Amino acid sequence: MVNFGLLYMEIATAALGLMLLAWGLLVPKRERQGIAYLTAAGLLALLALAWCTRGAAGTVLPGYTIDLYSIYFKSLFLTAAFLATICSFDYVAKMGFNQGEYYALLVFATLGMMVLATSGELITLYLGLELMAITFYILVAYRLDDPKSAEAGIKYLLLGALSSAILLYGFSLIYGTCGSTVLREIGKRISSGQADFALLLGLIFVIAGFSFKVTAVPFHMWAPDVYEGAPTPITAFLSVGSKAAAFAALIRILFLGFDNQAFLWLPLVTVLSVLSMVLGNLVAIPQKNVKRLLAYSSVAQGGYLLLGIVSASLLGIGAILYYAMIYVFANMGAFMAATAFYNNDRSDEIKDYAGLARRAPLVAAVMLFSVASLAGIPPLAGFPGKLYLFSSVVARDYSYLWLALLGLLMSAVSVYYYLQIVKAMYTGNPAPQKGALQVSRGMEVAMLLVLGILFFLGIYPTPLTNYAFKAGETLFMP
Amino acid sequence: MANLYWIPKAWLIPLLPALAFPFIAFITRKARGLSALTAILAIGVSLVISLGVLWEVIAHGITMDNPVEYSTVWLQIPQLLKIEAGLLIDPLSAVMLLVVTLVAFLVEIYSIGYMEDDPGFSVFFAYLSLFGASMLGLVLANNYFMIYFFWELVGLCSYLLIGFWYHRAEAARAGFKAFVVNRLADFGFLLGFFFLFIIFHTFNFRELAAAIPAYHNVGLLTVAALLVFTGPIGKSAQFPLHVWLPDAMEGPTPVSALIHAATMVAAGVYLLARAYVLFASLPNVMLVVAYVGGFTAIFAATIAIAQRDIKRILAYSTISQLGYMVMAMGVGSMTAGIFHLTTHAFFKALLFLAAGSVIHALHEQDIFRMGGLYKDMKVTTVTFIIGALALAGIPPFAGFWSKDEILAAAYHNGFLGLYILGTLVAFLTAFYMFRLIFITFFGERRAGLHGHESPPVMTIPLGILALLSIFAGFVGTPFTARGFSTFVYYAAPHEVEPDYMVMALSTLVALAGIALAWWLYGRPSDLPERLKESYRWAYNLLWNKFYIDEFYLWIYRRIFWGLAEAFHWHDRHVVDGLWDGVGDVTRASGQKLRYLQTGNLQTYALVFFTAVVVIALWMAGMGGMIR
Amino acid sequence: MLQQYAIIGIFLLGAVGTAVGSIVVNWLVRPKPEPKGDKRATYECGLETIGPTWVQFKARYFLYALVFLLFDVETIFLYPWAVGFQELGFLAFVEMMIFIGILALGLWYAWKEEGLKWL
Repeated sequence: MVNFGLLYMEIATAALGLMLLAWGLLVPKRERQGIAYLTAAGLLALLALAWCTRGAAGTVLPGYTIDLYSIYFKSLFLTAAFLATICSFDYVAKMGFNQGEYYALLVFATLGMMVLATSGELITLYLGLELMAITFYILVAYRLDDPKSAEAGIKYLLLGALSSAILLYGFSLIYGTCGSTVLREIGKRISSGQADFALLLGLIFVIAGFSFKVTAVPFHMWAPDVYEGAPTPITAFLSVGSKAAAFAALIRILFLGFDNQAFLWLPLVTVLSVLSMVLGNLVAIPQKNVKRLLAYSSVAQGGYLLLGIVSASLLGIGAILYYAMIYVFANMGAFMAATAFYNNDRSDEIKDYAGLARRAPLVAAVMLFSVASLAGIPPLAGFPGKLYLFSSVVARDYSYLWLALLGLLMSAVSVYYYLQIVKAMYTGNPAPQKGALQVSRGMEVAMLLVLGILFFLGIYPTPLTNYAFKAGETLFMP
Repeated sequence: MANLYWIPKAWLIPLLPALAFPFIAFITRKARGLSALTAILAIGVSLVISLGVLWEVIAHGITMDNPVEYSTVWLQIPQLLKIEAGLLIDPLSAVMLLVVTLVAFLVEIYSIGYMEDDPGFSVFFAYLSLFGASMLGLVLANNYFMIYFFWELVGLCSYLLIGFWYHRAEAARAGFKAFVVNRLADFGFLLGFFFLFIIFHTFNFRELAAAIPAYHNVGLLTVAALLVFTGPIGKSAQFPLHVWLPDAMEGPTPVSALIHAATMVAAGVYLLARAYVLFASLPNVMLVVAYVGGFTAIFAATIAIAQRDIKRILAYSTISQLGYMVMAMGVGSMTAGIFHLTTHAFFKALLFLAAGSVIHALHEQDIFRMGGLYKDMKVTTVTFIIGALALAGIPPFAGFWSKDEILAAAYHNGFLGLYILGTLVAFLTAFYMFRLIFITFFGERRAGLHGHESPPVMTIPLGILALLSIFAGFVGTPFTARGFSTFVYYAAPHEVEPDYMVMALSTLVALAGIALAWWLYGRPSDLPERLKESYRWAYNLLWNKFYIDEFYLWIYRRIFWGLAEAFHWHDRHVVDGLWDGVGDVTRASGQKLRYLQTGNLQTYALVFFTAVVVIALWMAGMGGMIR
Repeated sequence: MLQQYAIIGIFLLGAVGTAVGSIVVNWLVRPKPEPKGDKRATYECGLETIGPTWVQFKARYFLYALVFLLFDVETIFLYPWAVGFQELGFLAFVEMMIFIGILALGLWYAWKEEGLKWL
């Protein structure tokens, strides 16, 4: 008997999405603003549910296990979706059509992430991945009036299809070699230390497919264009949610299925990490557009997160979990500020940010502290995150010290381009006709929340650290 | 332990002033009265809780051996690093809490009057609150990391408050000097406890106390202990890093009373007490501590004899008394050191506040331009004399009992030289204090300056401190049953035996000092001038504080500047060139790399596939190698 | 083992070489003057195209196709369920109703958003 009760999170999320669709049909088109609030409330309720039932554990099907690891990631996705929803209020209202669909798709994307992060079986995992990806294809192209958005959508769709094809090919090779799609079963069937060429190829394809999602260099090419073209809240959600979900699945695959093949994938992941950190940070420097800059920064952040996998230890996994959560807040904060600015000025260019600090102190402060956290400057939450990640690599083996030092060096480089935004905001003069920014109350509250969390977890990171490490531990339990 | 009420609330003690700081800085800044009220209310409640904590520590039999500790992990990297945030409440911290909150409370009340006309009134109270919070956090810390954190914070507050009148070049420079000298010392301290962490893998005081006696690599431990000791040398202004404290008198007088006499400078002594296990297990280090303290005591006392600035005399007196405390630690009597710290906090705060009252009235700090003030400022005069008697060690004032205990400890623990030296210091102390009193408060008005008594908001704190200066010593006299020495102790509680010889001798020399002061300055006489003329070299040496500042300045100018020039050249031409190069390369490579991003979909797909193929080939090759 | 890879490598080289080689040979032996006239015309089917070939299709076709798919999938699942209805029991009935409900919601949505109207 399948225990459907354990699927409560997925079922509730799906129900919320369907409800939003139906709600969109029932109310007249003009009065659909309420749907945004309904979404936010629903997501918050789900978040509360996830927190209250964090002790839940059990196996639904052999390849679908509810554990703290999955619940941690579910909370992460819900948090990201919640912040993205709040971020979308004004943005979507100004687009002026099909709000119900927009929010329903947002929720379905969250559902896809949840399945992706929970599944321990390749086909279910793929299902989650596609649910997430397809909804994102639509959402990225959501700004019908903007050719850039359409271009981004098409690019994402085609390249996404490409990566899915590679991924599926990899899955089929793995299945063909091992005769199972359940990760733990795969892990048992691969005799340790012995590599089969087909299996190796499958593993490479799988890593390539997920590298696409986590925007690891050289599979990152889509990111800047798509990030720039997509509606800003979607960019934010894409950069944190999709990335975290792909990490959740990749960690599961590598550590449950291919643990004893680590000698093969470790060098590969190391190279991807190094390339992402170096290229992401370097190319971010000459960017003139905030969203493109944050896209490259996101590539670099993916590189830092990969360090946790390189360490191949509980410490590293915990560090990824911690950092991914912090990344949600920091990145969401930065994009929230960008959205607030775009809603008023219809621009994403860094030079237009001049004098923002005087026009909207809160927005400027959120941007400042968010990028400072991304750069890992104490006492913001990004600092302990990077500390954990870098020290996890060093703790693995001192011969990896150079990798941590490279990460440190690249963090220093990142400060340079983050400061460009800050410099524009705080030292530039605003154009004389520009007045104060209009920011909705909900957005202000969310911004303050993000600021509070960034500072709190920077000064006292232990609660989240404990949670993250406990969640990481459950992954390794039999 | 079940029915503790106050102790579990101890975390509020530093938190309240900590909250007062942003509250004043951001909200009540414009409303002066409200700012002062907020600050005083915060420290007042902290004082009440501190009293409660002390009472409960006594009532519930919490001793040095079974303290109450609350701790939570602040930052943890499994297997590598664990940093706690926690409170350690034992008699030592309970006593310190009371001293700090009480003095801070009185000083803040006093400041209402003293800072009345200052435009930075609110900011001053904000800083005082921040200082209070940091100092109380330091006292409550249960591990080295946390104590260091607050140690730096009090240093920062000290810097801010010394340079409070930053428009005065002297004040700004003094603040800078204090900061630099303290940073130098703090760096040693930091290294010291990192050494300890590397050896023992913990920052926690109690865990260290349990581990240190079992550790046998004395050499390594000695290095760690000496490095830790540099912290107190800087913060408690011990020779040779004492130079910042006299200059720190450029700050407002309440600051001098609170920070640079009663509390912050005593933090070094407090740290010695906290880390006492470390020092007590290393006799050689103890010797160093004892002699540094003893030398500082006599060194500063001799300088004080020749100074003219009322606050500077008190500053050198503070250095000298801190030397006493450090010496007490070194000769093995932590009890005596902390006891003297406590009484000294009261009477030195009193002396500074009374001196502040004089300065407030005259806007003058040179004692030779004052005189005859007792006619105008009765309360100030009386309280100042009480403070001076306590400092000079005249029975039954507070200072007598604590100083006597230090001297007795030195004598009985076999440090005869230090005992004689300490007694000499007692003589000098009595002499320079009463020189100050006879010149300032008696005799004729020299520069025609007329004083006027300060408002009650300033004199009432003086009165309270005067009472404490008289009576606070009774908690620890040799005749007190279950006194201070059975409360705050190292290793085992003990009763102090009265040693009448030591008592009598120290009283006699103090009286002799007073008599000499009267003979030279208490009556009209040209003897001081004649002495000055005939021993010109000695006077110059003392007046110029043994030329220590000049010596440092010379080192700084000749050696550091020379080095700095060399480094500067090196930086300019080698390092900068290198980094500029790195920066240019970084920026240029960013520029170049961005052309990879063509925007062309086909290119992206091609890159994707090429990457997969390259990886496959690479891995296949590597797979072949491994096989 | 390395030898096996060598075989693969030779095979790869051969495959690539054949493909590239044939193109190169073609390029070498082709008549040099640029082709013109009928030579450049489309030659698969007899008819010349009228107007540009890159016309825009009406997106409605896809909407219809999607809605059709909805029923198609429904049928595929309904048949085996109907055959095994007796053995599957009540839970399967509930599950199928939820499934049909979700599909019906989709149809309703398409209808309400005027997806079925030919414009």
